Amino acid sequence: MEELNLTFVDETVEKVGTGAEKVLEILQALQGHYGYLPQEALERVCELTEITPAAITGVSSFYDQFRHRPAGQHIIHVCVGTACHVKGAEQVYEAFRSYLDIPTDDDTDPQKVFTVERIACLGCCTLAPAVQIDGVTYGHLTRETVPKVLNDFLKQAGTAHRTRARRRKVRTGAGEIRVGLGSCCVARGSGRLHESLNKALVETGVRVPVKRVGCVGMCHQTPLLEIVTPSGESSLYARVEPEDAKPIVLRHFGARGPHRKITGAVSRTLDRLLTDESWGPVTRYSINVRDREVSDFLGRQIHVAIEHCGHIDPTDLDEYVRHDGFKALEKCLKELQDDEVIGQIEASGLRGRGGAGFPTHLKWSAVRASAGEKKYVVCNGDEGDPGAFMDRMLMESYPYRILEGMAIAARCVGASEGYLYIRAEYPLAVKRVTEAIEKATERGFLGDNILGTDFSLRLKIVAGAGAFVCGEETALMASIEGRRGMPKLRPPYPAHKGLWGRPTLINNVETYAAVSWIIRNGADAFAAIGTGQSKGTKVFALAGKIARGGLIEVPMGISIRQIIDEIGGGIADGRKFKAVQVGGPSGGCIPEGSDNLSVDYESLTAAGAMMGSGGLVVLDETDCMVDIARYFLQFTQNQSCGKCTFCRIGTRRMLDILDRLCAGEGKAADLDELQHLAEIIKKGSLCGLGKTAPNPVLSTLRYFRDEYEAHIDKSCPAGKCKALIKYTITDDCIGCTICAQHCPTDAIAMRPYEKHEIDLEKCVRCGTCKSVCPADAVRVE
Amino acid sequence: MPRITIDGREVEVEAQATILDAAEKLGIEIPTMCYLRGHEATTSCMVCVVKVAGAASLVPACGTSVRDGMVVESDCDEVREARKAALELLLSDHVGDCVGPCATGCPAHMDIPLMIRQIAAGQMRGAIATVKRDIALPAVLGRICPAPCENVCRRAQHDGAVSVCLLKRYVADMDLQTAEPYLPRCLPKRGKRVAIIGAGPAGLAAAYYLQQDGFDCTVFDDHDEPGGMLRYAVPEEELSHDVLAAEIAQIRKLGVELRLRTRVGVSVSMEDVRREFEAVFIAVGVLKPGDAEALKLAASDKVKVDAATYATDLPGVFAGGDAVRRRKMTVRAVADGKEAARSIAQYLLGEKVTGPAKAFNSRMGKLRDGEMEVFLEAASSSARQTPADPAAGFTASEARHESLRCLRCDCRKGDVCLLRQHAQTHDARQTRYKAERRPFVQETQHPDVVYEPGKCIDCGICIEIASQAREKLGLTFVGRGFDVRVAVPFSAPLSDGLRLVGERCVAACPTGALARKDAQNGQSPKEDETICEGDER
Repeated sequence: MEELNLTFVDETVEKVGTGAEKVLEILQALQGHYGYLPQEALERVCELTEITPAAITGVSSFYDQFRHRPAGQHIIHVCVGTACHVKGAEQVYEAFRSYLDIPTDDDTDPQKVFTVERIACLGCCTLAPAVQIDGVTYGHLTRETVPKVLNDFLKQAGTAHRTRARRRKVRTGAGEIRVGLGSCCVARGSGRLHESLNKALVETGVRVPVKRVGCVGMCHQTPLLEIVTPSGESSLYARVEPEDAKPIVLRHFGARGPHRKITGAVSRTLDRLLTDESWGPVTRYSINVRDREVSDFLGRQIHVAIEHCGHIDPTDLDEYVRHDGFKALEKCLKELQDDEVIGQIEASGLRGRGGAGFPTHLKWSAVRASAGEKKYVVCNGDEGDPGAFMDRMLMESYPYRILEGMAIAARCVGASEGYLYIRAEYPLAVKRVTEAIEKATERGFLGDNILGTDFSLRLKIVAGAGAFVCGEETALMASIEGRRGMPKLRPPYPAHKGLWGRPTLINNVETYAAVSWIIRNGADAFAAIGTGQSKGTKVFALAGKIARGGLIEVPMGISIRQIIDEIGGGIADGRKFKAVQVGGPSGGCIPEGSDNLSVDYESLTAAGAMMGSGGLVVLDETDCMVDIARYFLQFTQNQSCGKCTFCRIGTRRMLDILDRLCAGEGKAADLDELQHLAEIIKKGSLCGLGKTAPNPVLSTLRYFRDEYEAHIDKSCPAGKCKALIKYTITDDCIGCTICAQHCPTDAIAMRPYEKHEIDLEKCVRCGTCKSVCPADAVRVE
Repeated sequence: MPRITIDGREVEVEAQATILDAAEKLGIEIPTMCYLRGHEATTSCMVCVVKVAGAASLVPACGTSVRDGMVVESDCDEVREARKAALELLLSDHVGDCVGPCATGCPAHMDIPLMIRQIAAGQMRGAIATVKRDIALPAVLGRICPAPCENVCRRAQHDGAVSVCLLKRYVADMDLQTAEPYLPRCLPKRGKRVAIIGAGPAGLAAAYYLQQDGFDCTVFDDHDEPGGMLRYAVPEEELSHDVLAAEIAQIRKLGVELRLRTRVGVSVSMEDVRREFEAVFIAVGVLKPGDAEALKLAASDKVKVDAATYATDLPGVFAGGDAVRRRKMTVRAVADGKEAARSIAQYLLGEKVTGPAKAFNSRMGKLRDGEMEVFLEAASSSARQTPADPAAGFTASEARHESLRCLRCDCRKGDVCLLRQHAQTHDARQTRYKAERRPFVQETQHPDVVYEPGKCIDCGICIEIASQAREKLGLTFVGRGFDVRVAVPFSAPLSDGLRLVGERCVAACPTGALARKDAQNGQSPKEDETICEGDER
């Protein structure tokens, strides 16, 4: 074997440092360089640093991000988050594997070009099913589009670095063009749109600034392009393709030179699109806030955490300051006493937005009251719930607001150092927050003597490495300290003994994001929104089988039905609403019929769900609730840190039963057994992950017991569980052979003009035939 | 100093104390597995959970600090159920046998693997003590036993079972040839008398164990000589009367009295026997018509007894052997005698009569592909021995060779394993949760320590000990969730991971995951040697 060049290890250690807490950062660098973690490299790290062999082995095997065997040139991460799961992620995963001829015991094709891995959640739920190939995200995959995506990727990979940004002179007061550049938008092509827009401006000679803005929340309409003319008139274009860029520029800003001639013709075409009222998926058109769908989508929303959504450039500090940015911090530093600030937070009724809803002021007061020279503030950006992407969007689009909230908190509790722990799956968030910290420090909003006062705060980013349990605060701190993300028994609480044994304040991204609004607008304004116990607003990621998925911020107390019907536009594809999964693996399913439930901490818990961090995955009649429960147990069982017996083995035993049920091997006693295990795991587990892991099972058992019973009788009413269904072709078959052409296992013989038949021995129940049949002649039973 | 209440009793403890400390101060026993004094609680096994008033969930006593006024319940149904569930979950993922399949298969549950290791080590005095702990007539059985143990011997699937029966005969024969054959220690006399009706294998065995337990036994038999069917039904070429007599002589040496040519119900009435003796054990062999009535039992062709205690319907009257069951096997009769002796002792001591405690036994069941090879690695590869002279049994060298064929299926920490102990006291069942078992793995590269990951409960105590001792490689958790395993970093062998603290890790490991290679049953071999001394009546 070729000897490995270890100079990169030496350079990395030189750059990063030798402390035991640097282990994640070093491992991430090594993996980035070598594509995996060669043992020689790890041994070299141990020689050069305080990191022990036990620590490096323990840590590198704990996090999903790390590989211990070589990978192909490109890594395909197939998202198996909740929204992707219900939209067929497993089939996409299988399709990649079979298209690339990956052997069963491997994850890389024989030519070592592509490695296919599952990933817990990319947080691009509205694009479900989504995949990420070396940082390029593709959405809405099907078995059929797999080859197209691979081709596109290879083509892009060859050309991407040839694109050059060209600086242009822009006229002020010339209006502006806004392009949404959140990760979802980029995945849907807004990056390419941005490029083609710049090209169009050069070609047409139009001088208008093109501004990137954060997530607008209307993920179902991306890529979005907003044109603001010099007169201030705004037009919003949805689902814009790169080739539309030029006509749109010409339409609104006219052209100089030869282009002027064609403007009129183009404009007429676009007018036709403008008058198109339908929200059909086929083409791009201009929409307007006055349009009913847009007003419905936005109408019920109240923007606190996502204030100025769609208007401001995420990392433009001047713009943030122009929009009252850091005013709240200044007020806290120069006008208010720390206890007054905490009093404001208390009066606002703000509760932790990470899931459990602990009153924020109590945490702040506890850390403030803790004795200690050194204290820390930590921002929990480890949004691991599959089906949730609020925190990603907040960090990508409003980094300064989070930093401002952290600074205010740090000032109140007496902390001068802090960390933002951000999931590794969110590279754009890491990039933007890093940029924001740099700029804010440069301008004196962070760093030493902030705004000329004696208050100093240094913030660092720690990128997670793929472990859901690190969202649990004690596990998160262990991870920052460079250890395996294993939770610890509380008390002691982080407020008393946190990072490196010091008092530590940990709040969620969204909690920090609400702080400056409360200080600027007053606690009363915040408390005026919401219900008795749950004040203010909550950001939700709305995804799954919904017509208009996206990111929304709504007042607490809004009903599930209002969210789904009014904001989300009901169920996609005319299907029937069945349930909404709230709160991810810690939450539960609220069924159709209970959907006038008020969205607040207490109501959701009483209904067997949980606020969680705010993922809402909508399920329709084709979703099997036993499969959903199994999906979540598979997730928690895999993500359990493995420390306490109830969680480590108990969740596995629950999964064993659910596996048996889905395979048609369930017994009547299994349901009682599930209930028993669920209760004992809830009662006995050490941390929040284990205590809430049974919720998806308990809530589906509560509302959909009949479906469990059907599985015991060997039938899956939703037609999802492969072992319990079979596909047949009805007499409606027109003999078109399309199904035979698409069947991945040749289970359908090609018989032109005759009725086709499915060989059940060969059939893998992928459903491709049903989805391609033009005559609707494939039946599932 | 905070005051807390546990199970209704108040105690004052140090501010830093845990609930476990407080319970200890009160003398309340809380089971623990992953907790090791002097180390920070790892709170992983959750067997020590208790209920704290006001808390929604249960908390581990080992890691929960006391608060003034705290009210704790350590023995309510909820706590007991949770502890049992924790144990049963651990057991559902526990790969290994507490005792060897041979000992499980032996009706008398003799500790066969231990006997075999003692033979291999040349500890013959220890070996006979092991044998006689469960089998009163080993020289006899060594000749006539159908050896159900060999049917279930793991090695039977490979190249023939270990020749257990002949090894046992070898141990017993060697013992009888010594100047002073082995006699167990008897407890001081308790002043209570037991009548045993029938001097066959069941009766003799009962007398052997009851006499050791301090009860005076008188064995009634209508024949001229003791031995029952062993003397009168088994052909002498199979079982010589000398061997039988020698082994019975050892029983008599304990003080057992024989009343031969005396038929209870005929020459002496059952009423008289019950008046004279505090308890009666009926071991008359297969009943002939009229026997039952003579013994004042319901007319039947067999005596009806409680399956666990051997008690008949008459108070103080117990029965065993061929009188109670149809399937005839001497080893079963000997086992009946031993087990009934336990019930009779309980009865005479005024205790609850339950019969012998059934030891918890984890079982891994049939081997999968590749697992036989793991077991074979440490055993001799020679084929099953047959004695050069079948009539004489094994020679010393043959016995030693045969003993080295044992696969050592039993757990090296069978007697000290906390999982087994708590499973026993909590009445935990291993099959409570259905599960696919993991493969059996054994790491034997370390000179002194064997590591069986399938028995590990992932508590991490060994990792802590190695880390504190600054082992160069040490141990670590590898992986996450259900698949997490303790291993040496960089897949190095255990001998590299534990250079300094192998012994300490073995002692701290709550299960048989880390064990001394040469451990007998959790004890070092030397200690075991002292268990049996000669006659010290």
